[in-house]
Amino acid sequence: MPYAIELTGITKRFPGVVANEQVSLAVEVGEIHAICGENGAGKSTLMKILYGMQPADEGAIRVFDKEVHLGSPTDAIAAGIGMVHQHFMLADQLTVLENVILGAEPTRSAGRIDFARARAHLREVGQAYGLTVDPDDRVETLEVGERQRVEIIKVLFRGARILILDEPTAVLVPQEVEELFRNLRGLKSAGTTIIFIDHKLDEVLEVADTITVLRQGRSVATVKPGDVTAPDLAELMIGSELPTAQTIGVTVTDEVALEVKGLTVVEEDGRVVVDDVSLRVRRGEVLGIAGVEGNGQAELIAAIIGTAAATAGTILFLGEDVTHATVRHRREAGIGYIPHDRHREGLLLQAPLWESAALGHQTRAPFAKGLFVDRAGARERTEWVRREFDVRTPSVEVATHALSGGNQQKLIVGRELAAEPAVLLAAHPTRGIDVGAQAAVWDDMRAARAAGLATLLVSADLDELIGLSDTIAVMMRGRLVAMLDPATLTARELGAHMTGAGVRGDSR
Amino acid sequence: MRRVTALPAWLRWPLYAGVGIFVLTLVETLDDTDRLTSASASQSMLRWGVPVLLAGLGGLFAERAGVVNIGLEGMMILGTWFGAWGAVNYGPWVGLLTGIGGGALGGLLHAVATVLFGVDHIISGVAINILAPGITRFLASEIFTGYPGGSITQSPRVPGVGHFTFPVLAGGEVGGWLSPNLLGSLGDRDWFFVSNVANLARGLLTQVSLVTIVALALVPLSTWLLWRTRFGLRLRICGEHPVAGEAQGIDVYRYKITAVTMSGGFAGLAGAFIASPELSGIYLEGQTTGRGFIGLAALIFGNWHPVGVLGGALLFGYPFGLGLRDLGGTASHSLLLVNAVALAAIAAWSLSKGRRTNAAVACVLAVVAAAWYLLSETVPDWWVNILPFAIVLLVLVFFAQRLRMPAADGQRYRRGEH
Ligand SMILES: Nc1ncnc2c1ncn2[C@@H]1O[C@H](COP(=O)(O)OP(=O)(O)OP(=O)(O)O)[C@@H](O)[C@H]1O
Ligand SMILES: [Mg+2]
Repeated sequence: MPYAIELTGITKRFPGVVANEQVSLAVEVGEIHAICGENGAGKSTLMKILYGMQPADEGAIRVFDKEVHLGSPTDAIAAGIGMVHQHFMLADQLTVLENVILGAEPTRSAGRIDFARARAHLREVGQAYGLTVDPDDRVETLEVGERQRVEIIKVLFRGARILILDEPTAVLVPQEVEELFRNLRGLKSAGTTIIFIDHKLDEVLEVADTITVLRQGRSVATVKPGDVTAPDLAELMIGSELPTAQTIGVTVTDEVALEVKGLTVVEEDGRVVVDDVSLRVRRGEVLGIAGVEGNGQAELIAAIIGTAAATAGTILFLGEDVTHATVRHRREAGIGYIPHDRHREGLLLQAPLWESAALGHQTRAPFAKGLFVDRAGARERTEWVRREFDVRTPSVEVATHALSGGNQQKLIVGRELAAEPAVLLAAHPTRGIDVGAQAAVWDDMRAARAAGLATLLVSADLDELIGLSDTIAVMMRGRLVAMLDPATLTARELGAHMTGAGVRGDSR
Repeated sequence: MRRVTALPAWLRWPLYAGVGIFVLTLVETLDDTDRLTSASASQSMLRWGVPVLLAGLGGLFAERAGVVNIGLEGMMILGTWFGAWGAVNYGPWVGLLTGIGGGALGGLLHAVATVLFGVDHIISGVAINILAPGITRFLASEIFTGYPGGSITQSPRVPGVGHFTFPVLAGGEVGGWLSPNLLGSLGDRDWFFVSNVANLARGLLTQVSLVTIVALALVPLSTWLLWRTRFGLRLRICGEHPVAGEAQGIDVYRYKITAVTMSGGFAGLAGAFIASPELSGIYLEGQTTGRGFIGLAALIFGNWHPVGVLGGALLFGYPFGLGLRDLGGTASHSLLLVNAVALAAIAAWSLSKGRRTNAAVACVLAVVAAAWYLLSETVPDWWVNILPFAIVLLVLVFFAQRLRMPAADGQRYRRGEH
């Protein structure tokens, strides 16, 4: 078989870390090649090198049997490589068509965009690969799955024959994942070569033809899915066996920590995004909220933490009415918050790590002494979080954006749990975290629950929901439509409930 | 429901204008004056609106590319000096070009500081606003003092480009032939509303400076450039999501620098216009009087769209033009009543949207405006100067959710940091 891509001896150093060390990777034409590895193993870096976004320090790249120099994405695009990033690269206010043609606009004289030709080509590409989108929709109105399709079409539009996807399934619910995999198989049969990164090992085993495992910047193994099991893969990734999950019985107490009554949130444009939601989380309880993204979960959390105003209803925190309290008051009172978008709400990307670790706690010890920032205390606490939550970084002084996606997430989780809140609002707490670290975070959350933490958990990972929750509420079009018992629930059943295909009324 | 009632832009703005003129007509009748809808009112509205429009379009290009340009004022000042210098030496058309060039230099400086060196946009803009008057004073002392009639604070008389009166509609002469003046005769009829519209229209078509025509043509041209061309799409991605642009192989720095330099060029043209006989006919120190900032206000009012910027520029130009030949402050006084009516309308609208606090605030403001109107005979002259800013504040308070600035506007962008 001829190779679409051959990387040999790729090395990439950042100050204090070697992200890739003598990595070699060979991808055959027309295969689906998965890349696995722990957080910070160097997967994204390797892909960015292949897409011309970062230069390698050493090593050679061959694409379709030709030695190439990839100095910028333009070079990579010219070589037939396209990439869908871990964090989507779409402008919300532009239309699908504008986003897709950007950088590859068909034009007539005087730089006029030939919209008719662009539209026709978009339709062609869509039909050829069985991907449908409406070119005139504004991106902000699209669901996550649709956005991802736009990203893929964007890559195919410029004739890419090699498609790189960085953690494409992290933001999808199982039904959407299946749809994505159908699309990938379609692309493959049309001759496209696909490289993708994924932390969910059963997904990898399901769809990949070949799997390469990276560990601490090196490629340690290349295997076929038929020859390994998920635990084998995990072992290859972390170099030791997966820790087994702790089991703790029911720890639910009678003391209500968070109570929401008749909460309604109406957007400026009149859309009702949270519709008369009532719920109760007791100390020692985890209440899971399941639902396809965009059904009001984000707005529910935003209203409870205070970044969105409640149009009606009340929010009681340990008996105190905080419906109209400021975010700061709620935070200081003891509400922890893991936001769903770590870049937008969770971190200061340009600031050193210890400043990001203070975010949301900046007014309290150990981050503050009176009116002043306590640098020593902040650094010490950050070091502690780094140790306890295994945040891989050369030091707490590096800029936050230099951490790998999963390590950024671990920092946020660690920071919130370290503050020992009474209530934790956790939106996708392990998004982008590798299997080993995920198990560790789950253990930490269970331990906090046993110590009396009340958690409101929103997640797209159904195993996480079922594994952690004491009760699961299904949210749909802003309403809580069902209450389910995770003890007797499979991921498939839960998925069906979320899309509205579930049997109504079989609540607890 | 909401979608059905939304009108297309080309219908919406004429409709707003119609309603506005209707209110003016009513107030005129009540107040027994004819100043508000006279031909000279609209003529000077246009004259005063042009620099604001040009500055606003300048701001539009910069902010659509993600750079806040608070230095428009300084670039406009450069435009006044370079415009006057070019016009005095090489004639009025060259003056416009040198004005554009002077402003563009200021824009380039802002671009280099913010884009290449990552200086905060506001700090760089303020620095340019401080720097520009110093530069022009220095240049004037070096050059204008050597000219007859020039001094360290002013230039000799600046020649202007020609005028144009639309024949048939607004009269005038065409090669010795005295053209009919349809709008004029309609305006003399004293038909309620119809004559008022005719008068205002005649003002817009009489003795129009050729620069004004160019400035107005820049509105559709900018729209076309930004939304129909490859250049425009790439420029806009820099303001919405520069990392996405970079990932598609677009040279974000280059587009940002080009956009901000163009932005300075627009402001420079605005400055040249101010120094031209259209408004003053001379370069005078301090003559821009904050109109760069008013341009930014027009940009916000117009929701970062060229047609909206034009609307804002005319709206802000109107009271200025009115105040100019209104030394007693009586015509501006009538405007108070217009304000009261507008605020009452906002109150009703807010109430219909269920925003009770907003409605209450608007109501109180309407009552204040009405009371002021009833209890006084004239208004002080500073009032006209703060009106644009007051209007923008009101827009921000009451219509904020309709405003949509570019998503990455004002943010520092460094290549390869993501
Ligand atoms: N711009 C940068 N500056 C400094 N260090 C960096 C930079 N980008 C990545 N690194 C470091 O390189 C290493 C590999 O990071 P990379 O993002 O490739 O990991 P990853 O395998 O994609 O992990 P994840 O699964 O968490 O996304 C990490 O230690 C990270 O801290
Ligand atoms: Mg990564």
